[in-house]
Amino acid sequence: MERKPSAVLIVALILWMFGVAGTVILPLFDQEINSATASGELRNYPEDSAEARGRDVYIQNGCQTCHTQFVRALPADTNQNLGPVSQGGDYKYDLPHLLGSNRTGPDLMWVGLKYNEDWQRQHLIDPQSTSPGSIMPSFDYLTNQELDDLVAYLMSLKPTEERLEEYQKEREEAKIKGQ
Amino acid sequence: MFTDEKWSSSKNWFIAAVFWIIIGMSMGLLTATKQIWPELLNNRWTTYGHVRSAHVMLVIYAWLSMAYVGSMFYMIPKLAKTKVYSEKLGNFALVFYNIVILEGFFALLFGQTSVIEYGEFPLWVDVQLLVAIGLVAYNLFKTVGQRTEKMLYVSLWYFLGSLLWLPLTWIVGNFPAQWIPSGVQQGLMGWFLGHNAIGLWMTTVGVGQIYYLLPKLTGRPLYSHQLSMIGFWAIATFYVWNGPHHLMNGPIPSWISKAGVIPSIVLLIPVWAVLANFWGTMKGSWSQTRTSVPLRFTMAGTIFYLFACLQGPLQALPSVSSVIKFTHWTVGHAHMGPFGAFSFTSFAAIYYILPKIVGREMFSKRAMEAHFWFSTVGFLVFAFSLWIAGVVQGFAWIEGVPFLQTVLMMEPYVQGRAIGGTMMYVAQFFLAWNMYKTIKLAKLEKKQQAQQQAATA
Repeated sequence: MERKPSAVLIVALILWMFGVAGTVILPLFDQEINSATASGELRNYPEDSAEARGRDVYIQNGCQTCHTQFVRALPADTNQNLGPVSQGGDYKYDLPHLLGSNRTGPDLMWVGLKYNEDWQRQHLIDPQSTSPGSIMPSFDYLTNQELDDLVAYLMSLKPTEERLEEYQKEREEAKIKGQ
Repeated sequence: MFTDEKWSSSKNWFIAAVFWIIIGMSMGLLTATKQIWPELLNNRWTTYGHVRSAHVMLVIYAWLSMAYVGSMFYMIPKLAKTKVYSEKLGNFALVFYNIVILEGFFALLFGQTSVIEYGEFPLWVDVQLLVAIGLVAYNLFKTVGQRTEKMLYVSLWYFLGSLLWLPLTWIVGNFPAQWIPSGVQQGLMGWFLGHNAIGLWMTTVGVGQIYYLLPKLTGRPLYSHQLSMIGFWAIATFYVWNGPHHLMNGPIPSWISKAGVIPSIVLLIPVWAVLANFWGTMKGSWSQTRTSVPLRFTMAGTIFYLFACLQGPLQALPSVSSVIKFTHWTVGHAHMGPFGAFSFTSFAAIYYILPKIVGREMFSKRAMEAHFWFSTVGFLVFAFSLWIAGVVQGFAWIEGVPFLQTVLMMEPYVQGRAIGGTMMYVAQFFLAWNMYKTIKLAKLEKKQQAQQQAATA
């Protein structure tokens, strides 16, 4: 093999394909991530709805570079009061995905639970007025239409009532155990 | 423009690379500064999200990748004892590649993105970039094909592998989202690209560069051929499985998590094999780092590579990940490989190769020294700020400190990062100026020589 580049390339290709099979092809057959949860269904926005347009505004302005949509079953997340732990099926209709990799700002998986529309709008136009010390840039350059759509999208990010009840029960149980 | 002058591809790719490191790092510095003054240059085009994406894509696919291709256009023909298959095609690919990068850069500033980290260019740019990479790979494969040296030195293995893996990985990662059945599945494919752009392109070409440079710079043979084979096949086997660890503790089934985390930890094997080989080769030559800046850059690169590769498997442990994931630590770690390890080896490659192809020493040794020290000290300030910040931030979240308060706590570290980053940025001007002077003087000297010859003839 030390004299045959084609042999090196063939083995390199086979090893690469093993990795693809394990981490890309096999997951395609896993139901856990491929069937939508009830909360995931809520994110199946009709085409050209305010939420769908707002999602595009979110992506175009790079919100996903600072905010994750990814709640883990870990103290770092549960103690931040982010809402229910997210499941594979919650993202069934999230294309492209907005899982994110960095929390320069807080997680937004269920941000629709936390504030009302007026707060969201005010926060987008002048982040420091609602959150003193925030390092979020102002999005006052967006048109009114874009702001409306973006707020509609953010408000849509919430779990179903049932999921929320389950989550609150879980938290109370955890609290009792903790004492 | 599409000259077939000997070594012109290598030289021109290097020149373009250094142009882009200045643009790419200025985007990085702006990103860092925006975290201190959020309103700085904030508008529809240069808002934080756009600038950050542009920074990541430019330093990886413009600066580092072009420096890599420049190195390979010199190292591959040298190792194969032949000439570049087609210098003309090499120069054509360069012009094409630069046009594509420019398109991608403006697409990102105009808010077009496919979201996938390390693959953020929109689809219409991705396709063109694939063609450009394909042209480079074709040219270099053909070069190996016409070799007169029968033994394949280990650097060639790495280069061949990387030139095969990059386009394939690029296809998987940039697969159109609409064709993929779920958001998480796309996340897995995106991180397949995200991790393997690092593992099967940045790492493998960079390690190949070091294997080439070390024996040349020290004048000593490679410590162990056997060990270099173990290192190569272990990287090829395990690295490609690393994508899923980016979604660990998250919405993926536990079997995928394990399939990603275990290979991440096993990576300690190739890292050990590679570094034992590098440092074995260096035995008795360490004192040369005092006088040779390229050698010093290479060795600093290997040390940063060790750091990066100790952090990597450690971070792949679910318990460690549960503290530092999503924090500033990640940003510090993400700069370790691309800047600390492999930009350093690329600097060394430029300083070694450029004098050979233009026929004159680098213009200023002092500028090289300044480039080294500003890069190194700047990077240490930058990286340590972010690592400390990440750990502080991670534990604050666990304790339930309100998010906004953790942002305020980060202020001094974010400033430290910006100061370190400024030094890293300034360093690159010494490189650019030195290269410009060297190439200009080399041209002048050649002209004078020709005149003298004409006069005496």
